Amino acid sequence: MRFITFLLLLLAAAPLQAAPVLFEKDIRPILKAHCFHCHGEDGRERGDLDVRLRRLLLEGGEHGPAIVEGKPEESRLFQMVQSGKMPKEQAKLSAEEIALIREWIAQGAKTARPEPVDPDAVGITAEERSFWAFQPIQNPKVPEGATHPVDAFLLRRLHAEGLKFSAAADKATLIRRATFDLTGLPPTPEEVKNFIGDQSPDAYAKLIDRLLASPQYGVRWGRHWLDVAGYADSEGYNEKDTERAWAWRYRDYVVNAFNKDLPWDQFIREQLAGDEMVKPPHTELQPDQIDKLTATGYLRMAPDGTGTANNNDARNQVMAETLKIVSSSLMGMTVGCAQCHDHRYDPIPQKDYYQIRAIFEPGLNPKSWRVPNSRRITLYTDADRNKAAEIEAEAKKADAERQKKIEFFIERTLTWKLEAVPEKDRAELREAYRSKKRTDPQNAILKKYPSVRQISAGSLYLYDREYNGEISKLNTERKKFADKKDDEKATAELKRIDERIQFFKDALSKKVLDAMAKKASDIRATKPEEPFIRALTEPAGTPPTTHVFFRGNHDQPKDAVKPAGLTVVSAPVIAENDPALPSTGRRTAFARHLTSGQHPLTARVLVNRFWLHHFGRGLVDTPGDFGRLGELPSHPELLDWLAADFMKNGWRLKRLHKLIMTSQAYQQVSRRNAKQDALDPDNRLLGRMNVRRMEAETIRDAMLALSGQISLRLGGKPVPVMEDEVGQFVIGKENLDGERKPGKEVDLAGAQHRRSLYVQVRRSRKLSFLEAFDAPAMEPNCAKRPVSTVAPQALIFMNNAFVISQSRAMAERLQAAAKDDLDAQLNTGWHHAFGRAASPEQLSKSREFVHRQTALFKERKDKTPELTALANYCQALMSANKFVYVE
Amino acid sequence: MSNNAQLLSSRRHFLAQNAMGIGGVALAWLLQREGLLAKPVKPNLEAAAHTLLPKQPHHAPRAKAMISCFMQGGPSQMDICDPKPQLDEWAGRDFPEKIKYDNAAQASSKVLASKWKFKKHGQCGMDFSELVPGFGEVADELCLIRSMHTGVNNHGQSIHAMNSGRTVKGRPALGSWLTYGLGTENQNLPAYMVLRDPANIPVEGVLNWSPGFLPSLYQGTVVRAREPRVLNLNPPAELQGKPQENFLEFLSQLNSGNPSPGELDLEARIASFELAARMQTAATDVMDISGESDATKKMYGIDDPATKDFGTRCLIARRLVERGVRFIQVFTKNQYWDHHGNITNALPASCKKIDRPIAGLIKDLKGRGLLDSTVVHWGGEMGRLPVVQNEKSPGRDHNTYGFSMWLAGGGFKGGHIHGATDEWGHRAVSDIVNHYDYHATLLRQFGIDHEQLTYKRAGQEQTLTDGQKARVVKELLA
Repeated sequence: MRFITFLLLLLAAAPLQAAPVLFEKDIRPILKAHCFHCHGEDGRERGDLDVRLRRLLLEGGEHGPAIVEGKPEESRLFQMVQSGKMPKEQAKLSAEEIALIREWIAQGAKTARPEPVDPDAVGITAEERSFWAFQPIQNPKVPEGATHPVDAFLLRRLHAEGLKFSAAADKATLIRRATFDLTGLPPTPEEVKNFIGDQSPDAYAKLIDRLLASPQYGVRWGRHWLDVAGYADSEGYNEKDTERAWAWRYRDYVVNAFNKDLPWDQFIREQLAGDEMVKPPHTELQPDQIDKLTATGYLRMAPDGTGTANNNDARNQVMAETLKIVSSSLMGMTVGCAQCHDHRYDPIPQKDYYQIRAIFEPGLNPKSWRVPNSRRITLYTDADRNKAAEIEAEAKKADAERQKKIEFFIERTLTWKLEAVPEKDRAELREAYRSKKRTDPQNAILKKYPSVRQISAGSLYLYDREYNGEISKLNTERKKFADKKDDEKATAELKRIDERIQFFKDALSKKVLDAMAKKASDIRATKPEEPFIRALTEPAGTPPTTHVFFRGNHDQPKDAVKPAGLTVVSAPVIAENDPALPSTGRRTAFARHLTSGQHPLTARVLVNRFWLHHFGRGLVDTPGDFGRLGELPSHPELLDWLAADFMKNGWRLKRLHKLIMTSQAYQQVSRRNAKQDALDPDNRLLGRMNVRRMEAETIRDAMLALSGQISLRLGGKPVPVMEDEVGQFVIGKENLDGERKPGKEVDLAGAQHRRSLYVQVRRSRKLSFLEAFDAPAMEPNCAKRPVSTVAPQALIFMNNAFVISQSRAMAERLQAAAKDDLDAQLNTGWHHAFGRAASPEQLSKSREFVHRQTALFKERKDKTPELTALANYCQALMSANKFVYVE
Repeated sequence: MSNNAQLLSSRRHFLAQNAMGIGGVALAWLLQREGLLAKPVKPNLEAAAHTLLPKQPHHAPRAKAMISCFMQGGPSQMDICDPKPQLDEWAGRDFPEKIKYDNAAQASSKVLASKWKFKKHGQCGMDFSELVPGFGEVADELCLIRSMHTGVNNHGQSIHAMNSGRTVKGRPALGSWLTYGLGTENQNLPAYMVLRDPANIPVEGVLNWSPGFLPSLYQGTVVRAREPRVLNLNPPAELQGKPQENFLEFLSQLNSGNPSPGELDLEARIASFELAARMQTAATDVMDISGESDATKKMYGIDDPATKDFGTRCLIARRLVERGVRFIQVFTKNQYWDHHGNITNALPASCKKIDRPIAGLIKDLKGRGLLDSTVVHWGGEMGRLPVVQNEKSPGRDHNTYGFSMWLAGGGFKGGHIHGATDEWGHRAVSDIVNHYDYHATLLRQFGIDHEQLTYKRAGQEQTLTDGQKARVVKELLA
């Protein structure tokens, strides 16, 4: 009931001055955000002043009382905030907040109830608890006035403002909208034609079913979840940004989960604690077990620099980032803000942060850290292992042969270099070089002859040039004697020269050693590849004790805490150790708590995000923050109804998609009208559909679809990303020499045309094309993508090599389909790009353009003027607003 | 900023806005309904939007722009600007001190004297060898540092030290930090441009102008030796000029039937194509030196095949600075100064390529009143050793323990020599300037405190100097 009261409060546009201003409700949040830090928390009382209670304000500090009841102008608190002297930090109070403090003091500085004696015992106030997001999810009654529940809720608000829904969109618009929404791809002209031609009443429902059944659905919607999970194929943290070879299995797990419509309660439980569903030891695993372990990759998505910098800072950073991912994705709370001190705005005491941390510490465990590679679970079977051991033994033999050869080359080089040393020093120098424990005189003589001292296995290749020089000199010398074979002296000389040539030829090391190294690595390459799962597991044994860190500093552990969820949502106690499991079971218990149906945040946060991806904006516009700094829901009852309905029907997303998409709201046109623009310019009330720009991946995928080059293959290792010659990140396999000069292009055999989901997400090398269109930086995750519109994007559409190649491929496709019929080519292109036919006027303008360009290209002696012109037309289609935006 | 520039930047600012963020009226209306609760002031938790708009430095700057002429490979200081008579005395004898070689096969302990005559130049009497007569002509403008030190003896690491502040790969380049901290004056041109050699790119390739962990907005834009000169900025040759004009006209026809009039981001997108076209014009214009006088071209050595390429790039660098570009780096080709052998012939050729163009650049900037606010840098990632490498065709091996470079303009002291190497030219021994000291000093000239220009990553504040004990070398400053 409290929730309803709150709603009433929310809807009652009561004038500010009429209501009594109370400390707990109005003043404490301001002071908590700006003042507690220095005046009360952490035992700090600057100026001997604690401002956490009205009583303490009255008592005051070294400058006397901070407030004088009824007299704001005489109250030091008011004076200080009004003059801007306090707070000292940059963010000053707003005029509104200062006015509220003034009003409070003027009204006599009232509290809602008697204050506790101990300011530390205030805990979470009733006012804080009453915040909408912490209220249980209601199942509100669907209002009258519409058959579809979603419409009913929306219409009630619209009607209250004198607004209504816009007209229904035509079928061409609708199929384009639905196809992009569910698959991230444009509908083909045939699909559009079939849908428009299907006059049956359930044509639209069938369309949705078809799209939901497409495996491309998982590719599209998996991407949304991977944003909040912070999926990346590299470790981040520092400049090394080591690759994560096996993270992609988690990506594939997510895509599969969406495609098979895995219930979300199960999906969440697997991601948080899938490892606790599979009995250790994790060997000889079955597919289902592999799935559950892979799911915990969710908890291994945070940047993890400990593979290259295994120190306490880096370890604790992984903990902190993992908690950020969990709390923003599943709880819609900025729990991370309570790492150093109580949350300034939301009722999340610092202790809460650490009790949530305690849930994850047995697994991540900074005190007994495991670096990324040692956390992986191998999928090697015993048979694989035996085979690999056999092959390794073979390779070792090849290594040993090579080592012997190295010794030979060193000896030969030494012999040669000694020739240049005065006779008297040679023996001593050789002995010094060979000595394992060099004496001072030995070091001295070596210093004198760096040419000998520097000989080493690693430098052998450098001598080849010298030897070749000697050989060519000897060959020249040889010519002098070659035709004097009868001469005894010459014969002797020839023999000497030939032996000498052979001496140097035998000393040429690079080719020989390279070949031997290749032999060993070729042998090793025949080992069965060892596949891994990137997973979180929890070793059995005594779990670590979690402490609150003073000001978030891991070097200053304070009180020990027990595992639990957020206090404000009355989380049940989580057992420290579940005797039924070899691990602690804390994550399993936490997952059960989140998915129990009782948690006020989980389902709301989820359905809000689903809504966001259908309408371009969530019912709560800050999908990662349902706290006080987040936005309020535009339709709180609808949000609750959807959340309740979602849970009641088995947490199944495909059903929810269909529900939302069959609403009248979803099927409206997106055109603006003056009345709505005046009353609801941001379309919060959804009196029309929003126009949305495609996401980065969708732009790239849609271009590939238009060109016909797209590969719809699912799953597997990511498509590599490399730096091109000017430092853009493009698709390709890096092929650089030691000085980073690019070598020959490596053929990717069609992988370059795979959907963007499958392009490697390396934090330090985001595919430049995707980054330009706001693909997120995973630091550590992304709750909501921004949409930017900047000139560099326009330059991409105008000049980028990928765009130009796709335009050309599309033109070739159009030409092949309708030889010599330009109008048909133009029209089909238009169909592909915009999902409808060109009007006669549009067609004639297009024709004019292509003719004009063809003439120009002919003048310029272009080899294929017609094709180049048609490609330029296709490029214009791909660059048009009508293509990049979905109505 | 001129009115025009202001207009332009506010336009760009508008375009750079998060399109979803435009408006907010209805939202405010909704929030007012909450009524009783004062809306808290949001602390700045979200990542700041990144732009290239000009930003205020920490204090009044002396320099506004920089042209760095990077001599990748490591020019031989004792043959160019750090004369060492002792090498003549010891020529051919065993070097008596400890030394570290890079190339083992050709290591030798024989001292190698310089083959070139030195002379004092300018009023200041700065020594330069006969290889760089042009440097001599502008000696009074130069602040020569003879005590540079990075201490890591291979190209890659030392390049990173000089260009990105640390010896490791992957950190943002100097130019990225400068444009991140200061933005740029001309929104129609990239803020940070790299003029590469037509032959190839330097060792470590694109990492030389990588933004590291900074947003890619701050990456150096490479001007290529062939069309399109700047990727994405210019179309491939077949579309240049009239075809692209037609394309943009046709595109605007396609966009004119806006299905949703009033959608701000759709309109912003149309405007973004107009701005993009202006950027193309500006970039094409700045690369076109046909309007420069013959006298100017001669000053840069564009009349001589040996100096034509480098001179042209130096002249383009000046034109970029004139138009407000913040940071320009002109590279010689891969290992052009890595004279392990045949130094007798190769070093003069390398010096010839750059001497007159760089001297011309200094003179031209000075003549146009731009030198005061523009730092010009000459130097590489290392110097060379005082001993022979490869006795058959002598050269010199790597040396990062003591090498030379110079700075001019932008408030650096002209006609000044700072620091010294030992009698061999081997190790810096007095007033040592480490790469991070150089960076701290440079940033100061741009009005930036090197410890204050930070970027938060993985919970840590990152800086160019990255906690190394950097010193602003005041002695270098006028």
